[in-house]
Amino acid sequence: MNACVWCGRPLHQVVTLNQIWCWAPLTQSVACDQCRQRFTAITSQRCPQCGRQQTDETVCVDCQRWTGRPLTNHAIYVYDEAMKAYMQQYKFQGDYALRLLMQEPIRAALFREHYDVLVPIPVDQATWQKRGFNQVTGWLRQAPFQQALLVLADHKSRPQSAKDRSARLQTPQPFTLAPNAKEVLHNQRVLLLDDVYTTGRTLRHAANQIYLGGAKAVTSLTLAR
Amino acid sequence: MIEDEQFWGRQIPLPQAPVNSATGITALKQVGNRLQCQRCTHLLAPTDRLANGEWYCRQCLQLGRLTSQLELYTIPEPNRFVTAPTGGLTWEGQLSPQQERAAQAVQDYVKARKNHLLWAVTGARKTEIVYPALAWALAQGWRVAWTSPRVDVCLELAPRLHQAFGQVAQALLYGGQEEPYTYCPLTICTVHQLLRFREAFDLIIVDEVDAFPLATSPMLQHAIAAAEKTSGCHLYLTATPGDQLQKQVANKQLAVTYVPLRYHGHLLPQIDLRVAWRWRAQLSKNKLPVALIRQMKAYLATQQRFLLFVPHVVDLPVITRALQLAGIQGGVTVHAADAERTAKVQAMRDRRIPFLITTTILERGVTFPNVNVIILGGDDAVFSTAALVQIAGRVGRSADAPSGEVTCYCHTHTKRVRLARGMIARLNLQGRRLGGRK
Repeated sequence: MNACVWCGRPLHQVVTLNQIWCWAPLTQSVACDQCRQRFTAITSQRCPQCGRQQTDETVCVDCQRWTGRPLTNHAIYVYDEAMKAYMQQYKFQGDYALRLLMQEPIRAALFREHYDVLVPIPVDQATWQKRGFNQVTGWLRQAPFQQALLVLADHKSRPQSAKDRSARLQTPQPFTLAPNAKEVLHNQRVLLLDDVYTTGRTLRHAANQIYLGGAKAVTSLTLAR
Repeated sequence: MIEDEQFWGRQIPLPQAPVNSATGITALKQVGNRLQCQRCTHLLAPTDRLANGEWYCRQCLQLGRLTSQLELYTIPEPNRFVTAPTGGLTWEGQLSPQQERAAQAVQDYVKARKNHLLWAVTGARKTEIVYPALAWALAQGWRVAWTSPRVDVCLELAPRLHQAFGQVAQALLYGGQEEPYTYCPLTICTVHQLLRFREAFDLIIVDEVDAFPLATSPMLQHAIAAAEKTSGCHLYLTATPGDQLQKQVANKQLAVTYVPLRYHGHLLPQIDLRVAWRWRAQLSKNKLPVALIRQMKAYLATQQRFLLFVPHVVDLPVITRALQLAGIQGGVTVHAADAERTAKVQAMRDRRIPFLITTTILERGVTFPNVNVIILGGDDAVFSTAALVQIAGRVGRSADAPSGEVTCYCHTHTKRVRLARGMIARLNLQGRRLGGRK
């Protein structure tokens, strides 16, 4: 018997006639409906730049404050209590199995994006040692990606999530290009993938480096905004 | 640098050995062809792996992740406490002769280091009965844990023990605790927190031992066994022991002390059964059983406060609506995920609301003076025998209102209800022999 990966309740999967007739492999669901429905998907009423859920489709105040090359971000879910609880268990407690919960939404979202090269935001060496995984690449099941960015070793005095907005905005550039980045990125449309878009600082730092690597366009996708 | 104190009787996961005498065991041990968590005994699934190839335990993740890289370090418990001959007891209350006898029995078993069950009816003041035994244990320099599967029980208990044992250093541990761990002779914690200890306690008191999820969780039962010294013993407190415990008592594997009378010497109120034929079907038409409405109106007219127990959280809004349509106002709903739960319970205690509509979360650990209880759908599976007896035990807890009514509306007659009535009747029979009054 399968159990929901998040709440642990037993899963009752119903096979429909539709699934039988379409001859595709039967996908095993990993989470129960209640757990899935805890998240709030972002609708088309969002900021066209950062992808934040709002009541109209104009550029939001935070995006207007940014100068320099604009970055278009799409986000899948609203960063609400449920998403915080998910992130807490997945990223901070390190429950790697919870990656399964988001693989399907990420796959569907990647399918909608237009890009040539997928670049997930990397984690630094110390985090990798401690956490044992990169929370972003964990969501990728089969999608090919390039690790074109590296994190400078000693940039972090404290994690991004422990800072307020102004401290986040003053974060210096943490990324460098990987040795093979120039060949991989040259004249390509690049999609950055990250977990949460909060101020946009991290993604803009990453985008700047990617442009330096010769990419012709950079957009981003995040799980939550 | 972690101080030695932190390691005494505990198991601390570290990647490499600390600079003291602590000894380590691997956190995840190979058992057959699987790995087993040495903290919670969970057998790892083949999928419990990280991207870097390490294994991790998902079951006790909330206590901090254990991976195959870590070892659990411990220093055997040294019992380094300053003891007082009185055990630090500052409680000045009086025990009734009934309670006195039970307290003496408990103390004798603790002195003999024997495992023991204190089966005392709801409202018998179990906590106070244990005080003499606890004071004796603390005077011997024992390390004692007072645990419960329920965090609300721990939270309510901590200030009481703090008052009763004013001279004893105490630590309160639970999932959301912000204060750091301190080494104390008396630790009040949830059973989950015992997983952090190894052979630390000479005496473990388990309050509400039949409460969810302890009875069905091998992990928590292991937690108690592992946190107890090999020379230690445990004391179970409950009003409604489950089948397993009752069987152990019957087979003489577990010593037992009964307290069949409440502290004020009155008998338990018996559950009054009423038939509510197809009340669910009625409810879908926004109607409640006529007898129930009449009873509630009578209570409201005489300003008798009461609790209305319903089977599920989803029933709460429907029943509130039906009550409104029937012209009954003033009820407040409470359920487990309610953010204002404590405030609402406090309002009921302060007599600011006439009645609460609630689920089984208020079945134990709460005391309201002078309330009656109505159970709607007592035949539902969520009301176990223990739950029904506990719910009935909310009535008549204070000395100035020692009796009251418990009414249970059922669609069918079930074994659980019958057993609950049987248990109350049996305890009352014992109580009557000891001179209990109606």
